[in-house]
Amino acid sequence: MLNIYYGNMPEAVFNTSVYFKNVYEDKWITDPIAQEMILDIDKSVVLDSAVIDSPVMGKIAPTSLSGGVKTLILMKNERSKVFNASTCGDNCAKWILKLAEGSDLTINLRHLMDFGEGTFDIHIVNTDQIVHNMKELVPIAGLYV
Amino acid sequence: MKGTHRIIVQNKRIRYNFVIKRNITIIRGDSATGKTALVDMIREHFENGTASGIELTCDKECTVLEGRTWRGQLPMMRDCIVFIDEGNEFVMSDDFASAIRDTDNYYVIVTREGIPSLPYSVDEIYGIRDSGKYGTLKRTYNELYHLYQVPDWNQTVKPEKVITEDSNSGFQFFQSICERGGQITCINAQGKSNIFADVVNHRKEKILVIADGAAFGSEMEKLMRLIKGYPNIALYLPESFEWIILESGVIEDSNISQILKHPEDYIESKEFFSWERYFTTLLVQSTQSSYLKYSKKQLNPAYLQEKVLDKILTVIKGIDLC
Repeated sequence: MLNIYYGNMPEAVFNTSVYFKNVYEDKWITDPIAQEMILDIDKSVVLDSAVIDSPVMGKIAPTSLSGGVKTLILMKNERSKVFNASTCGDNCAKWILKLAEGSDLTINLRHLMDFGEGTFDIHIVNTDQIVHNMKELVPIAGLYV
Repeated sequence: MKGTHRIIVQNKRIRYNFVIKRNITIIRGDSATGKTALVDMIREHFENGTASGIELTCDKECTVLEGRTWRGQLPMMRDCIVFIDEGNEFVMSDDFASAIRDTDNYYVIVTREGIPSLPYSVDEIYGIRDSGKYGTLKRTYNELYHLYQVPDWNQTVKPEKVITEDSNSGFQFFQSICERGGQITCINAQGKSNIFADVVNHRKEKILVIADGAAFGSEMEKLMRLIKGYPNIALYLPESFEWIILESGVIEDSNISQILKHPEDYIESKEFFSWERYFTTLLVQSTQSSYLKYSKKQLNPAYLQEKVLDKILTVIKGIDLC
């Protein structure tokens, strides 16, 4: 299940780009799910663990991926950490829900990400409530951001 | 600094072209739209000039503020357009708000978080409109007559309850109008940060929120997300209550209409942290020796006289408060 702590969370990794630059591993980039996320969000193709083909920037290193994709890759690979997911745009929301399928994922949000029109199970850590759609989520989470 | 400033920055792969016109501009939006790439290009041009391979055209110097030493960097930035990328947690602090308050810079801040300590306008929140290699800024919240989230623009908004941000003259004005009609309750939230909770508490009623658009930017995202599920809630966000009075023409001064056409050409960022404060000062100064003498604390009853009131209400289009 996806657990979200809304608002300021000192123990969360705030600057995910800096953290990613210093800890990422080659296999994180070539992982099939990471490749799908990179293609979907950055419209870029992983050529190998060190080179990604971006339609705008040309051949780039993994550190030049978007902040959103880097945070998603961290969420997938470092489950013991809590990351600031406000570095992710709404186009990352479906991937966050997907990464939380089948196992617990805890993130920190400092804004109201749009998880779309569909239904989901999200545990709001601040109030220990489980919500199932945006109409239920916003009145609770909005009080903390 | 005042006025509008066009920024064109490009390298061989990407080009950005946009205009900013207030002291604080917020850039947010989806991942991979080029927000960080924009700030990187500004930084590289500032550090290396044309040797960076980046061309930058702007009538003001563009620079980047970042890292733990931001307090030391800031005093060296004068009459600049200052870009701040996400990942710089200091933008959320009261220290930062007070440090930039009296500076003559404009600030462009990349963040998805609302920053309650900064009085930025709902009109100056942008995403990057991306058409491949060419980026420009696209306003996030669009409106007609300063009204937001109205399902049918041809239908007048007739609320059961009005919630104002203002607890002083603005609230007294709207409360008087609501009392005259006798059908609408008017309450004040005593500050913008309380509005969301008040709206949540009354979300099943027909609500109109009235707040100063010039400084309401930090609250905008969560309110728009909330009212997406509640079409019975509408927002009316003029620049400020004082702007409504100035716009109405009850103060006979030809300079005022000129100013209101292009406020950015008159509002010095070093003197006024937000436009709302400028409009208050302008109204106080313009009325100081007339029967319409304005005070923010206590509404002058002259503003509720029929002729004056009718003129002010002509500015508030699309809303029926009587």
